[in-house]
Amino acid sequence: MSTYSRLEIGLLILLIMVVLLPFVLVLGIAEASPYYQITGEPVNDAAIVTGITVASVKDSTWNLPGATGGKTYVLTDKAGETVIVSTQSFDSAASRDAAVRSYNAQPVGRGKPVGSLVVLGQHLVYVTPANSDILKTLAPELKKRVSP
Amino acid sequence: MSDESTGQNGLPSKKVLGLFALAMINVAAVLSIRNFPSMAVYGWSCIGWYIMGAVMFLIPISLAGAELATGWPEGGGVYAWVKQAFGEKGGFTALFCEWSNNLVWFPTVLSFIASTLAFALTPALANNPWYMFSVMMIAFWGTTAIAYFGEEASTKFGNVGVILGSIIPAVLIIMLGVWWMGSGQAIVLPPLTLEAMMPTINFSTLPFFATIVLLFAGMEMAGFHALETRNPQKDFPRAMALSAVIIVVCTVLATLAIAMVIPANQLNLASGVMQAIEYFFKAAGVPWLVAPMAVLITLGGVVSLAAWLIGPAKGLGIVAEEGNMPPLFDRTNKYGAPVAVLVIQAIIGSLVSLLYVFLPSVNQAYWILSAMTVELLCIVYVLVFASVIKLRYSQPNTPRPFKIPGGMIGIWLVGGLGIFGTAFAFIVGLMPPSYFTTSGLVYVGSVLLGTFLLAVPPLVFLKFKKASWLKPAGGER
Repeated sequence: MSTYSRLEIGLLILLIMVVLLPFVLVLGIAEASPYYQITGEPVNDAAIVTGITVASVKDSTWNLPGATGGKTYVLTDKAGETVIVSTQSFDSAASRDAAVRSYNAQPVGRGKPVGSLVVLGQHLVYVTPANSDILKTLAPELKKRVSP
Repeated sequence: MSDESTGQNGLPSKKVLGLFALAMINVAAVLSIRNFPSMAVYGWSCIGWYIMGAVMFLIPISLAGAELATGWPEGGGVYAWVKQAFGEKGGFTALFCEWSNNLVWFPTVLSFIASTLAFALTPALANNPWYMFSVMMIAFWGTTAIAYFGEEASTKFGNVGVILGSIIPAVLIIMLGVWWMGSGQAIVLPPLTLEAMMPTINFSTLPFFATIVLLFAGMEMAGFHALETRNPQKDFPRAMALSAVIIVVCTVLATLAIAMVIPANQLNLASGVMQAIEYFFKAAGVPWLVAPMAVLITLGGVVSLAAWLIGPAKGLGIVAEEGNMPPLFDRTNKYGAPVAVLVIQAIIGSLVSLLYVFLPSVNQAYWILSAMTVELLCIVYVLVFASVIKLRYSQPNTPRPFKIPGGMIGIWLVGGLGIFGTAFAFIVGLMPPSYFTTSGLVYVGSVLLGTFLLAVPPLVFLKFKKASWLKPAGGER
């Protein structure tokens, strides 16, 4: 039976540390999204402030445990771009975070999930496509509602 | 029945894989029910997106993989191929990127497995982190245990699992779609036109374009099993072709079946595959099929996990046997499984899964991490495509039972398309989504730093490499 040298053990530890480092770094850098109650309709309010037109709005409830309802908006801007924004509020941090996990667990192929998911207090805001001028315009207004 | 011969490590290597088993390894790695609802939301234009993915990646990687696997039918898959072209550094880096990108992907597929199984039991279970973590660990360590019992056990599990968990659910969805059309039910898609099939490509959809390029990632997975293949020169090209046909037919038809039945606004991508399947089966009048389907899709997730868990780990085992990693990493058991790599991988994967489940609000963090997986995979594929081109110049006389047709023009066209697609995906992968509380610079810096850290360990190992790390002939130390 062979014994392992210090170099081998050191390299094994280094490998584990180096590989885990990006996870720790990223989890440290990314801002947490605490669960808290936001009053009103954040997307609708942000659209009004930024001059984005709400072309249509419908009630919708996602088929997820803990989802308590939300809205699906079709937003258009002056350039004619259209995005679909779906909001949903959740009854607890656990159910909201489970929905976030569910979303992240559905990448297309080995890439990223379709669209973009934004966490705002008790709400999840799902926007497709992920990169759009409308979302860019809405972002500063929505960010004002992040953190109580 | 299996043949036995001596592998490159001097240990007996069982030749258990034929055409069908090789093809099923690729199908397991690539065909995913998870993609169908996500793509169905694009309606007819999903056809255009799929064609784009096929032209820019699936066809090039299948052709390149077939040429490389038949020309250099050695263990290690991408490691063996890239090493031939760019030496040990290049080969080891390509393989390590393929392995380390798994570490980010494991928690997502494990989470998918656990939440899909919860759908068959009680959907609310998905909100319980302890349930999630327990099922994820059972799936992860269970799959590792199957890999422990070697190629024969993995192959049997993979063959049965991919048919039950991937192909049958896809065929069932297609059949229900055909029945839906035949029975005169309302089709929610507009009439098919050439214009409707064209994807919209603009600045907003660029990140999705990058995703599409990697939609069929994993077609090289069979290459890791060259040592266990009975007739690699003959079977690899045919397996590539067979798996590509199965994947494309199942993916395109099943996606269209879903798109025809479920209105796009009901395909809420944030709420998951099983929700779409439930809607689909209820609309088709077979709600009782939802729970069995959830179990089958869970199995499909496990089989996909197994394909990605075993292939790159086998490759690392070969790297260790060649003396590029310390002997600690080249432990194999009596079944020929790289047991040390499997255990190290399972430990790291478990730690990352622990963070994924128990750290609250990991949304933005996970977006950055998934961007890293895209970057790491792009590095792998750029190296593979560059290798197939370079080897035509550096080793023109090496026999290649399958050669990309068209001479040098053909190889540049295929390799060039592949390099262009994956390099473009790499660049676009650095674009943060429009809404991000972290600044764009921090985002790009995090993705690049993380990618670098996950790609750099091979250079460290090679720096400290010692002659004594090489396994002596016969396999015993």
